[in-house]
Amino acid sequence: MISSSRNPIVRWDYVVDQSDSILAALWQHLELTLLSVLVGLAVSAPLAALALRHRWTTSAITGFTGFLYTLPSVALFALLVPAFGLSRVSTIIPLASYTLLILVTNIIAGFRSVPESVIDAANGMGLTPARRVLSVQLPLAMPSIITGIRIATVSTVGLLTVAAIIGQGGLGRLILDGLRRTFWTPMTVGAVLSILLALALDGLILWLGRAATPWTRKASP
Amino acid sequence: MSRVTTQAAVPRDTTLWEWISDPETWTGQGGIWESLVETVVLCAVVVAIAIAVAVPLAAWLAHYRKGELGVTWMVTLSRAVPTFAIAGLLVPVSLINGWGFEPWPIFIALLLLAIPPIYLNTYTAVRGVAPGAVDAARAMGFSERRVLFEVELALATTLIFAGIRVSAVQVVATEPIRAFLGGDGMGRYVRDGLGQNNDTLLVGGAILIATLAALTGLAFGLIERSVLPYGVRRLKTSQAS
Amino acid sequence: MSARAIRLDELTKTFAPGGDPAVDRLTLDIPGGSIVALIGPSGCGKTTTLRMINRLIEPTSGRIEIGGVDVTHQPVTELRRDIGYVIQQVGLFPHRTVSANIATVPKTLGWSAAQIRDRIAELAALVGLDTDMLDRYPDELSGGQQQRVGVARALASDPPVLLMDEPFGAVDPIVRARLQDELLTLQERLHKTIVLVTHDIDEALKLADRIALLNVGGTLEQYATPDELLSAPANAFVETFVGEDRGVKRLQLSLVSQLAFDQGPVVPLETTPERARAVMAQYRSDWLGVLDDGVFVGWVPGEGVRDSVSLSDLPRYPPAGRVTPSSTLRNAMEVIMNSNTSVAVIDDDGAFGGVVTLEAIRGALGLSGVDPRTGASV
Repeated sequence: MISSSRNPIVRWDYVVDQSDSILAALWQHLELTLLSVLVGLAVSAPLAALALRHRWTTSAITGFTGFLYTLPSVALFALLVPAFGLSRVSTIIPLASYTLLILVTNIIAGFRSVPESVIDAANGMGLTPARRVLSVQLPLAMPSIITGIRIATVSTVGLLTVAAIIGQGGLGRLILDGLRRTFWTPMTVGAVLSILLALALDGLILWLGRAATPWTRKASP
Repeated sequence: MSRVTTQAAVPRDTTLWEWISDPETWTGQGGIWESLVETVVLCAVVVAIAIAVAVPLAAWLAHYRKGELGVTWMVTLSRAVPTFAIAGLLVPVSLINGWGFEPWPIFIALLLLAIPPIYLNTYTAVRGVAPGAVDAARAMGFSERRVLFEVELALATTLIFAGIRVSAVQVVATEPIRAFLGGDGMGRYVRDGLGQNNDTLLVGGAILIATLAALTGLAFGLIERSVLPYGVRRLKTSQAS
Repeated sequence: MSARAIRLDELTKTFAPGGDPAVDRLTLDIPGGSIVALIGPSGCGKTTTLRMINRLIEPTSGRIEIGGVDVTHQPVTELRRDIGYVIQQVGLFPHRTVSANIATVPKTLGWSAAQIRDRIAELAALVGLDTDMLDRYPDELSGGQQQRVGVARALASDPPVLLMDEPFGAVDPIVRARLQDELLTLQERLHKTIVLVTHDIDEALKLADRIALLNVGGTLEQYATPDELLSAPANAFVETFVGEDRGVKRLQLSLVSQLAFDQGPVVPLETTPERARAVMAQYRSDWLGVLDDGVFVGWVPGEGVRDSVSLSDLPRYPPAGRVTPSSTLRNAMEVIMNSNTSVAVIDDDGAFGGVVTLEAIRGALGLSGVDPRTGASV
């Protein structure tokens, strides 16, 4: 029963046969990952702006986002279910919370890494504060921000698999499904795909980041 | 074929307070004490082995200035590895080999989670030890082994302990997935709560898990403080900015 | 754009309310088209003053006038687009190419792409930047090149005023000297009103038309031309600041062409030995300089001049150095120090122009326009 010729680690005919639902799971996983990171960014940006503007708030903000990061995922999902049910909201809230620490940290670090002299020169040239932030400080902060997004995305892919326990995990559902039916193929497929998805997104964001920041590719003399 | 022992279904109108204050909840079969022991034992073993593997390896490599590539690899590993997926992947492997649902899949998955913070912190710490101190020790005729133990490791203790703390908290916080992979532990109440559609179990289970994670962090924090030599602790606070 | 004068009127800046002022009621008239250096020890408020002109620091009280217009309360972004600003670390935008950096202000002002392109080419030639640098990123350039880009960027919209804060401090001395020379050349063409902050008195003496020496707390100690500052320091502070070697420093300010010089003990080769000895006696010189067809060819030791031997047959010694009319008095002094003949020879494009003597130099320093030999005013 544990294993037989009908139940190896992977049964390829099953994979081909169920490719639609597998792709659907993959798609759901991707969608929820991106939504969580976007929500995370939307919340991180104002928090980072606050810390950058009023330096004394930095440790409180970092402490808070750090605290959120340590909350066990199973616990967070469990706490939200009574309130929001087995829904996307219950999934996205915890996952977005986990991204806050790295995103806030990296946004702040990125902006703080812009040399004083560049900001001074920009002011001296008569750039309005808005233009200066958007066309000078933000691009220069990008490498750090993109790294943060990369890390956040990759770890979200992993954490999202756990959301399968509340019916939302995309690829995680394949894993649980397989476990329930003691049928290994979906388990293997779900696990492997989630690892591959994480690596693929990591590479994609890395590549996009490099393309968007051409000046970082040049070596200094 | 599942080893899972479900608690007797808890009536859905039980309030959280009623559930927590009922002695049966704690001492009965599948009770909180039992689950606590299961969780703590697994996590302790995982962290102990992670320390035993990561600290010597990282310290040795850092001392001899090797293994830079390993560090990069470790960083990628720690980010891209979805613990739940790894454990899930290992279940069929374990079952096919006749080893049952537990402990190998969750154990290996948690071990992979536990190693990177300890390894990275140890490596960085030993690497970063003031070269002046190392040089002085060598000049005084310390053998390489003594330099490593008495100088580098001593000064690196702060970071190493911090790494252990982070690792332990991560492991304890992730361990609950075990309950969804054929095991029990503190995660069982959330599992049962979802299965029985019982909010009390859900919330109660969540609070138990979160509390345990927080206590783990606090406990290791206290250990850090009491173990560190006074001079190193002062060094740490003066470096903190 | 015609040169604009800057006037600072009782300009004051206090950072902490009730504390000591960083700049204390500074009043300064900066003539249009001139270079004025702000110099002084740290804490004297020179950088604060500079940054008040383009209102990167807002004055606590006082007025700033540029070209007769009170700009103290003008909207800052507007004001700054008309003022070039160069700082020590340059502050080039690392994420933009060199040409994009230079184009920043013109783009903000709405110039057309064609106008910008032409202007960039013009500026590149002006500041000595290779055209293949234009598409590079700042990180790929050397310190000196970056500084040139910084100047080009500041001049892009052709502002009448240029503010410079220790612009050449971050490069090595050789590059610095070259950049300073280039600034002077640039100014000859452009006639901007330039305010320059520096801590290097030699740089100020070299570049500025007038120097404002400030003391700690932002008080003005002396505002004068370099020569006045050196020859007539207003007080002990100024004296100490310019240094004990101010006599020697003054030598660098004057050129040989400003001296009155004459033939000296120098004769054509064809001269008779008798006539030659007479010339040497006239100048009380042990050495005789000889010319070949108007070109100076060497010194002949006096005792070698004999009736029987023509001058061209005598052994000749090359001069210790050559000095041209555009050399500084200091160069001339160097050569005099290094030669046995105690006079330096002046060559203008190869043709002999006369000799410089120690007396002539001293005369130029002590009293201007007096011929040291006759005592008459020149």
